[in-house]
Amino acid sequence: MSGEKIRLNTEWLCDCGGCHVALVDLHEKILNVLESVVIQKCPVLTDIKDYPEAEIGILTGSIRTEHDRHAAIEMRKKCKTIIAFGTCAVYGGLHGAGLAHSREEIMDHVFRKNPTTRTDFIPDSGITGLEKIVTPIDEVIDVDLYLPGCPPHPHFIFESLKTLIEHHQPRVDKSTVCAACRRTMTKTDVTEIKQSHEGIPDDDICFLSQGYICLGSATLDRCLAPCPNHGIMCAGCAGPTMQILTEPNRDIRTEVADRMSRLTRIEKETIRAHIERSAKTHYAYAMATKMIGNKPTFLIRKWIADVEAV
Amino acid sequence: MFAMFIDEKACRGCQLCLDVCPTKCFVFNEETKKSVVARLGNCIACMSCDYLCPSGAISHQDHHVVKNFYRNIHFSQRMEKFL
Repeated sequence: MSGEKIRLNTEWLCDCGGCHVALVDLHEKILNVLESVVIQKCPVLTDIKDYPEAEIGILTGSIRTEHDRHAAIEMRKKCKTIIAFGTCAVYGGLHGAGLAHSREEIMDHVFRKNPTTRTDFIPDSGITGLEKIVTPIDEVIDVDLYLPGCPPHPHFIFESLKTLIEHHQPRVDKSTVCAACRRTMTKTDVTEIKQSHEGIPDDDICFLSQGYICLGSATLDRCLAPCPNHGIMCAGCAGPTMQILTEPNRDIRTEVADRMSRLTRIEKETIRAHIERSAKTHYAYAMATKMIGNKPTFLIRKWIADVEAV
Repeated sequence: MFAMFIDEKACRGCQLCLDVCPTKCFVFNEETKKSVVARLGNCIACMSCDYLCPSGAISHQDHHVVKNFYRNIHFSQRMEKFL
């Protein structure tokens, strides 16, 4: 790259910080990036408190507190292109599961009636106010590009930054986690759903074929499938596939149930009901986005109440 | 020209495309354990295989695109901004 360097701001809203670590995970490739980019504001690298003008702004995390909202708006004012980076920014992320409870319930459980501490009051100074719900950033500011993933694999980060720096049209990859998984999908005679702690799954055969719930087929691949390739079922951390996001009649539980029922002898309805019973886990990463949360068939509070009633 | 592709690397060999295809376009290669498009001329572009394939490995080219009336336009536009 020649000419002036592209200015980059990053800001850290409500998230674990893993997305910023993922940037460093570019390893030697970060040197290639730094040839064309100058990092200005970056909470883990530079001590800049305000928001300088920049070409690219990377926002990680979702909006959970009043500070998050302010930071997102300031970034939008100063950056030409805003990238919603990571699952929290795109869909609300893991803490989006807070949507299943009211703010009061959360405050009660964390502060007033926390089972593991003696505190019984809510702190009222030194921290910014908790918003009523978790909000993905595109509901507060305009977002130019989205890069989901928890965190996005450096392969996708590098490719994305490259397209931006070289002014290419981004190429959307629609493949799912299954596409990068090495397990073979075979049809089996399995008749029961297994919990992840039950039995020892075969290393070469698809989890669905073995009766374990794996969200790989309903999850966008922004990770290159490290979990299923190392014996852990996909938890859907990069968020649902395009067809689930855009079409109201498709959902995580129905898509997984459809495929799993064709691979095993377990009824589709049984699988669907099983996923609904543990929906707070299976929908955790994406339920805060309206693309999932507003589906008329997404009845998370009813499902939780049903489980608690038993 | 109309074409259909299967990303071989992504194919997990589940044969769900063989099950769902109403016009028997696919055959299963027992050696490679992958699906193969055998009768492209049969394809009516119903996209059932595209939707069902767990890996998203099947893609169509130059097919007649039918706009689904239930598709959420607002969300679909957002999809074009995905990296």
